[in-house]
Amino acid sequence: MTVTIALPSKGRMKDESSAIFERAGMRITAVGNDRSYRGRVEGVEDVEITFLSASEIAREIGSGAVDFGVTGEDLVREGLADADARVEFAARLGFGHADVVVAVPEIWYDVDTMADLGDVAADFRARHGRRLAIATKYWRLTQQFFSGSHGIQLYRIVESLGATEGAPASGSADIIVDITSTGSTLKANHLKILSDGVILRSEACLVRARKAEHGGNPLIDRILAAVRSAL
Amino acid sequence: MPLIDLPGFAGDLLADFERRNTLRVDTPVIQPAEPFLDMAGEDLRRRIFMTESETGESLCLRPEFTIPVCLRHIETATGTPQRYAYLGEVFRQRRDGSSEFYQAGIEDLGDPDTAAADARVVGDALFVLSNRLPGERLKVTLGDQSVFEAVIAACGLPGGWQKRLIHAFGDQKQLDRLLAELADPKSPGVFGHDVERVAALGMLDDEERLVAHIGETMEATGYSTNASRSPRDIARRLKEKVELAATRLDKEALAVMRAFLALDLPLADAPAALHSFAGKARLRIDDALELFDARVAALALAGADPGPMRYRAAFGRPLDYYTGLVFEIHVEGTPAVLAGGGRFDRLLTLLGAREHIPAVGFSLWLDRIEQAAGREK
Repeated sequence: MTVTIALPSKGRMKDESSAIFERAGMRITAVGNDRSYRGRVEGVEDVEITFLSASEIAREIGSGAVDFGVTGEDLVREGLADADARVEFAARLGFGHADVVVAVPEIWYDVDTMADLGDVAADFRARHGRRLAIATKYWRLTQQFFSGSHGIQLYRIVESLGATEGAPASGSADIIVDITSTGSTLKANHLKILSDGVILRSEACLVRARKAEHGGNPLIDRILAAVRSAL
Repeated sequence: MPLIDLPGFAGDLLADFERRNTLRVDTPVIQPAEPFLDMAGEDLRRRIFMTESETGESLCLRPEFTIPVCLRHIETATGTPQRYAYLGEVFRQRRDGSSEFYQAGIEDLGDPDTAAADARVVGDALFVLSNRLPGERLKVTLGDQSVFEAVIAACGLPGGWQKRLIHAFGDQKQLDRLLAELADPKSPGVFGHDVERVAALGMLDDEERLVAHIGETMEATGYSTNASRSPRDIARRLKEKVELAATRLDKEALAVMRAFLALDLPLADAPAALHSFAGKARLRIDDALELFDARVAALALAGADPGPMRYRAAFGRPLDYYTGLVFEIHVEGTPAVLAGGGRFDRLLTLLGAREHIPAVGFSLWLDRIEQAAGREK
């Protein structure tokens, strides 16, 4: 059986994943020219590399179209319902760190916790004639965190595919759920992270699709062991 | 009826609705999704079936009837009072059971006589259910959002705590958690550095200075002072939060609240029990009790059998649009809710009605009624 590994197709994520596989003794070469979207592992038969965008990788692992993928935990958990049942986070790779956080305007002096936000959300409509609006591209993570972990139901999500941190100042939303690595973008936009507002501490992970045929396949175990030894 | 999977009793049920002086309405299966998400919250999104129109409008398959019936009432500018009945398929993912199922019900809009309308609707539900299940003992559980709110207010808690508790009504776990926290506050609230700074500047006790300071800071940092929460909103709630953090419910008040929430007795005995409770605890909740008494009297007047009705003080339905009566009907000894409803006096205004339209109604789970009828045979 051929094992397919999906790796990020560009940028730092691509370079860092290649470096880890190389340290793991699995040097990856592109098939054809350098910009090809297919690759292989030198000296290992039966492994195919496919280069995809990070969010596509999350989807392909979820559907089982690939066996392994390297991508951000945030994208996997956002992209898949029941992520832990469908995939295994086999190794945390130590790069691509980013936290998914709840951030509100700094000037909201009275809001420092999710409980505060729950209070504000509860009578937001009575005061403003509309629900509290959250700008985010993380629909699923936001719903799980607000409804599941904090019992907050009364809000609306405003989809935001870029420059989310600008939404509160521009008036298109009241607060945001977004990723941050250093917090400097939030700060520049006068936003603060709630003290219990970290939804997920994400980083790049080696993720395995939970497939029955992986059981007892030595190649699967070999890849796992090699990557873990390189960390 | 073109649909062949309708419960066998659908025709009789509709005839009963007509006998109860209602106007049968139908609403499109495909509905704008916004009003449902707005009323029930974003969590509903996972359970309804959504799609988009060609122009990008969010649409969904009708997950329930109350909102569509009310919207239709507003759009057709029908006068009130008006009693509507509906029967049709709704679409909602449930943990147990199919995600397409039939609901029927009555929405009673615009009767200013609150007690009479409440009693009429409970009577409607009992009438149609007992006609479907003649051999079963039905049990009605009644609660009252406004009595709960009045008790909370009369206990003298700060506004912020009142809101938290009211918001938790109907969610026993959350309510218990809040009461425990009130009895023994663990965290005195988290306050950021900015708050320490404004406190040091003496602004916490001077609302006008604090509002001005917040407004200036918002303008300096490029935030609009009216697009979202205003400087005054923030200043007021900060004050509320400071009070919230300092509140500890004294033992007596906590005991009063727990005693209230533990009330669970035949409805006929409830007025006397509530008056005696309020008297002993020295709570001024006369207005709410007056309405409660009037409803019990109206139920008796309407000839509803008081036998199966119980009042449970902690009983609420976890949707923030209920404002007064809430009720559920079961077959005694079984857990399935066959009918559920209540009063929602704010909903029509929230949906865009120009004038205030009081409203009360209920819906029936036809699949569960069918199952109960099957057991009966």
